[in-house]
Amino acid sequence: MTSHFFLLGTHITQERLSWIDESLKFFFVKLFPETLRHHTKPKENVFTFLITRDALYSLHEPETQQVWEKILLLPSVRIICDRQELDLRGISVERLKMKYTDQVIDHNSLSLNGQTSFWRDVVKIARQHEQPIPTTIGYLQLESPYMHQSSLSAVHCLAAAIEVQADIELYAYLDGVHLGHIGQNPTEYDNIGKGLEDIAELASKRDLHYQMLACSRCAAARGYSTWDDGQGIVISTCTIKPFKIRNLNEVIARFDRNHLILGENVASIQLKKKGQPETLVGSDKGHAPPVTILITRSPYGTEHAFGALSFAIACAYNGILTRVIFIEDGVNTVCGTHQLSKDARYFNLQEVIDVVAGSENLQLYVFQPSLQQRGIAKNKKMTAVLDIGVAELGQLFFNPPQGIQANHQRILFF
Amino acid sequence: MEEKQKEIPDFSDLTCTNLMIRLKMLLKNAPPDSAVEIIVRRDQRDTIGIPFSRTGYDVKIRKIDTNLFRVRLQKRDPNEGI
Repeated sequence: MTSHFFLLGTHITQERLSWIDESLKFFFVKLFPETLRHHTKPKENVFTFLITRDALYSLHEPETQQVWEKILLLPSVRIICDRQELDLRGISVERLKMKYTDQVIDHNSLSLNGQTSFWRDVVKIARQHEQPIPTTIGYLQLESPYMHQSSLSAVHCLAAAIEVQADIELYAYLDGVHLGHIGQNPTEYDNIGKGLEDIAELASKRDLHYQMLACSRCAAARGYSTWDDGQGIVISTCTIKPFKIRNLNEVIARFDRNHLILGENVASIQLKKKGQPETLVGSDKGHAPPVTILITRSPYGTEHAFGALSFAIACAYNGILTRVIFIEDGVNTVCGTHQLSKDARYFNLQEVIDVVAGSENLQLYVFQPSLQQRGIAKNKKMTAVLDIGVAELGQLFFNPPQGIQANHQRILFF
Repeated sequence: MEEKQKEIPDFSDLTCTNLMIRLKMLLKNAPPDSAVEIIVRRDQRDTIGIPFSRTGYDVKIRKIDTNLFRVRLQKRDPNEGI
């Protein structure tokens, strides 16, 4: 048996939890049916759900709680809750805990400062997940500080990673680039910029490497002064010192490596097959973990859908096997016929899909149940985007792709 | 030279991924057998050169300023060299 984890921090809808439930059922019924037939639970946890911030509401809201109960009936599934965030929100998980005592964990490990820390648990699991122990833990941040609590999670996660002696990497994308703005001075919130500077200092003191990379496209759009002096050096005058603004391709180049990348909503699926050697530090393309990008939001209203597509194109261009799945509200990207006015400065996403279709390392899918739930259909001209159902989603998640030697797959929610 | 540059799309302010998308759109909409020309920066030139020559294009690059290059792409004849 292998082990997989989901780290979820934003509101979980019944729709999202249901397709997660269905994909887990595919895993057990199709790939490991013996675990269901003989009531012989594997010794280790197969799926760990790490739940923090607003995702915790799903544990006590009736419509999602009933789906969690179905998930917890599957063998070797456990949920680890962020105790501090449960207390902050006044959420009780007692009802679930009474029924699934060993599977619902609502207390966290002690960190070095003597306080309990959910993020300590996260990095511990991340480290157990990979053997031999990984040397680096990455974090992908898409949201801005102060408006979004996820920025504080990024700081806590990276600090916890340093506690377990891991090198750290922060990838700031979309609004995540604001994490590195100079001169942050919040009066009622932890200073995120200062937090990152402290982490960089701590890493240096412990002889650990750190990188904090922000996407140059996202940074330039948001007013971060950058320029190319002709030598390829991009200089920024408005970021904290550890923060470096780099072309997206340079950020993605870090994804070539086999370390774990955490984030606001991510999953890591182990792909190791029996007898296959471990590969952790390889940087050649066959060793790069495949990336599955879930586009869950409607296009145009926010930058998420375009950002995800752009990110996927960059991954594929860098030789990483990349699967894009339009799911939940993301299916609107492939419905109807999108038309841009002539003077529009942004992209028609259907046109983007059309021109990148067939690119090496890039596969595009739309999740049929999301279309059905909304009573809409895919634009018939979008033949490059393949229709998939629950079974195909399970296959994409859990069947190791051909020619890939990496020991895990990264799933990123946009 | 300024006159010519006006006719050629200037992509020098685009980041690499967007440049790839815009360029693929230009190539897709170009008449068959015609060449596409764009103005790019040095780092963008590096992004275009190898991948497009690997995928069936003749790529010609000419320096026109300190950090500006004129890139010409034309689909190679698939029967070439047979």
